[in-house]
Amino acid sequence: MSTEAGTPSIEKGSSLWRDAWIKLCKNHVALAGLGLLIFLCVVSLLTPWIAPYGYEQQDLLLGATPPSMQHWLGTDVFGRDMLTRIMWGGRVSLTVGFIATAVALAIGVVWGAVAGYIGGRVDMVMMRLVDILYALPFMIFIILLMVVFGRSMLLLFFAIGAVEWLTMARIVRGQVMSLRKQEFVEAAHSLGLPQWTIIRRHIIPNTLGPVIVYTTLTIPSVMLLEAFLSFLGLGIQPPQSSWGLLINYGVETMEEYPWLLIFPGIALSLTLFALNFLGDGLRDALDPRTAKD
Amino acid sequence: MKQSPLRSKHAPMSVGAAIVFFALLAGCGESETNVQSGNRTGTLHWGNAAEPQALDPHIATGVPEHHIIGALMEGLVVKNRDTLKPIPGMAKDWSISDDGLVYTFTIRDDARWSNGDVLNAHDFAWSWWRALQPKLGNLYAYMYFPIANARQYYQGDIEDFSEVGIVAIDDLTLEVTLENPTPYFLQLLDHYSLFPVHRATIEQHGEPDERGTRWTYAGNMVSNGAFKLTEWEINRAVIVDKNPHYYASDDVRLNRVVFYPTENQTTEERMFRAGQLHYTGDVPIDKIETYRAAKNPALKINPYLGTYFYRLNMRVPHLQDSRVRRALAMTIDRQLITDKVLKAGQIPAYAMTPPNTLGYYPPTTFSFDPAAARKLLADAGYPNGDGFPVTEILYNTNEAHRKVAIAIQQMWREHLNIEVQLLNQEWKVYLDSESSGDYQISRAGWIGDYVDPNNFLDMWLCGGGNNRTGWCNPEYDRLILEQAPSAATEAERHAIFKRAETILLEDLPVLPIYTYTSKHLVHPSVKNVASNILNQNYFRDIYLQPASD
Repeated sequence: MSTEAGTPSIEKGSSLWRDAWIKLCKNHVALAGLGLLIFLCVVSLLTPWIAPYGYEQQDLLLGATPPSMQHWLGTDVFGRDMLTRIMWGGRVSLTVGFIATAVALAIGVVWGAVAGYIGGRVDMVMMRLVDILYALPFMIFIILLMVVFGRSMLLLFFAIGAVEWLTMARIVRGQVMSLRKQEFVEAAHSLGLPQWTIIRRHIIPNTLGPVIVYTTLTIPSVMLLEAFLSFLGLGIQPPQSSWGLLINYGVETMEEYPWLLIFPGIALSLTLFALNFLGDGLRDALDPRTAKD
Repeated sequence: MKQSPLRSKHAPMSVGAAIVFFALLAGCGESETNVQSGNRTGTLHWGNAAEPQALDPHIATGVPEHHIIGALMEGLVVKNRDTLKPIPGMAKDWSISDDGLVYTFTIRDDARWSNGDVLNAHDFAWSWWRALQPKLGNLYAYMYFPIANARQYYQGDIEDFSEVGIVAIDDLTLEVTLENPTPYFLQLLDHYSLFPVHRATIEQHGEPDERGTRWTYAGNMVSNGAFKLTEWEINRAVIVDKNPHYYASDDVRLNRVVFYPTENQTTEERMFRAGQLHYTGDVPIDKIETYRAAKNPALKINPYLGTYFYRLNMRVPHLQDSRVRRALAMTIDRQLITDKVLKAGQIPAYAMTPPNTLGYYPPTTFSFDPAAARKLLADAGYPNGDGFPVTEILYNTNEAHRKVAIAIQQMWREHLNIEVQLLNQEWKVYLDSESSGDYQISRAGWIGDYVDPNNFLDMWLCGGGNNRTGWCNPEYDRLILEQAPSAATEAERHAIFKRAETILLEDLPVLPIYTYTSKHLVHPSVKNVASNILNQNYFRDIYLQPASD
């Protein structure tokens, strides 16, 4: 690499996302994860048109049957087609997973970055608020939200997101505290960049690694939280379903009708695998400190 | 009423899981299971379905409480565990006047409290006086109403208790005068709301009509049954030990009974298989077939005097039209629900009273008929379900309730083309919503306290505490309150009940769905477990006899 070529290549290299994409493409496992996720999202989007049966369509006389030609993944105790129910459940679970996590991500990253960067009294106040929210039993908090604003699926997503951002804020704050003392931040500072720009351009990209890892962990826990809330009657109500709920009910009959547990379990695990591999790949790809070869 | 949380309440999983965990932990130290050690020491491990809300017989209302209180206390009579015929309990015999109005009980002279005190007729008179104190809030006070002037006293129309037909003539003689001849009166005496309580203990821990005093705590409680309270660990277990002062304690063969609050049926079934329980309060629906297929003798299914039904809230505008209610009733395929969803021999119910309740067969006014139902709905202004508001079924969190509700939701959708939503709530929230009228359709169950049609019909009186639908029919009230009690013969009385129930079923403020069966897993070593239709057990009769091999 010559010094002459340095100027244009810095210009190009400054596009973090482009770099990341090239790196990600080299990581086949992560790419497979991404492909699987896209596939699941597409199937979920198209479910109303491609599902073989209605998700609420019962056949009590048929009852629970193992996988067959008519019902590829078997039927549940009401004679409802499991493939259809897993497809519809995937819509709910994936939406909950992504929306709630996005909400948690947005609040948590901004909150943690601001607190960590400004520090001092502001940090003190902001983080004590997080501590207070931590101390609140989160279930009661969500239930209160649901009671005040009524039961709706969208609200459920936001309520879960509004609870899940706390850990994210702490992680980001810790990361930012160690970053803001570093030379490149001081350099940006001495160049006269406004604080918000420094946070946005220099601090947040550097926290991406842990944030992405934590995000991939948040999505499954959010999906399970939704199942738990639905089980208590605060979330999805029958005949609708989600993967968490399907698994929850599948567990109770796993000795009699194992396919009711296995197939939704596979669907959820596949999604989580895909998310984890993709998250892993993204973390490697997005870390600015390894951005230069 | 006896609301059955066994069938009504879903468990916080953690409680059941904790029990299993501790049970397993306990199992690590010793290789013996609960059942094995229990059979050796005469300890019965009993799955009791829920944590008891109270052990005060004048406050408790549920089935789990019933079992524990039944072990701790005894009334004037007990029932034969098979035939349910009254046999001597605290009273060694009794006589009934020719007009059926005056009952004279002779208390047995060896009747003792668990601290050795003598139990006499005055204890009964005082206990019954206490049970009728309005401030105590006894939900079962109406069990006393067959007694002359008991209702008037309870409602405050009479101040003087001596006017109520309860008199202790001497230490061993109790005379009870009734308002009307009441054929089921002796049966009532075996209900815990008429059990005696120990005056000195209650007065030591508070006022007689004070709720929630410490007199029912282990160490304080004095009772008169075959067992006495040894330990009450909240959400862990209630432990009762044999009472040496009980008059027939020589015949009591169990040394100890441990009641577990096994709220989650799946957990309970696992505990049973792991040898942690001798007896389970219920069996998960999907396990029934497994046990049947394996011809496992542990599975016991018996007829159960109880009706599963849906309450319709008469304050909801679109449910006020009786044609709508009838259409809803006619599109529930009850046979399909009992055969394919519940699978435990339940009987489809088209009336409130279970069939053959003491020889009484309820009338029927409708059957499963979707075509006629659609016509009714159209007549009511909702042709093909158009414009019918979204209706909500409320149920308390429980696997079986959920399944029934899902099936009915789909039946109504299919046959009437109406939109139905399901809403589940935790047991206490659900009870609150139901009694405050904050529901549209709500699932309910009614378990008989005594074997008589009256038990299933007098809850629908105008403004009755367990009515909760807002339904009110003066003619119905007149039949139940005035005509039936003064009927001369059993046949006439049944005819009056039939007329009353016909009114109820023409109007349908409730949708009967099925008649219960009781389902249990019983370890083969447990003998003399009851199989009566009240599912009432007598622990003084039960004993453990392990197979000899």
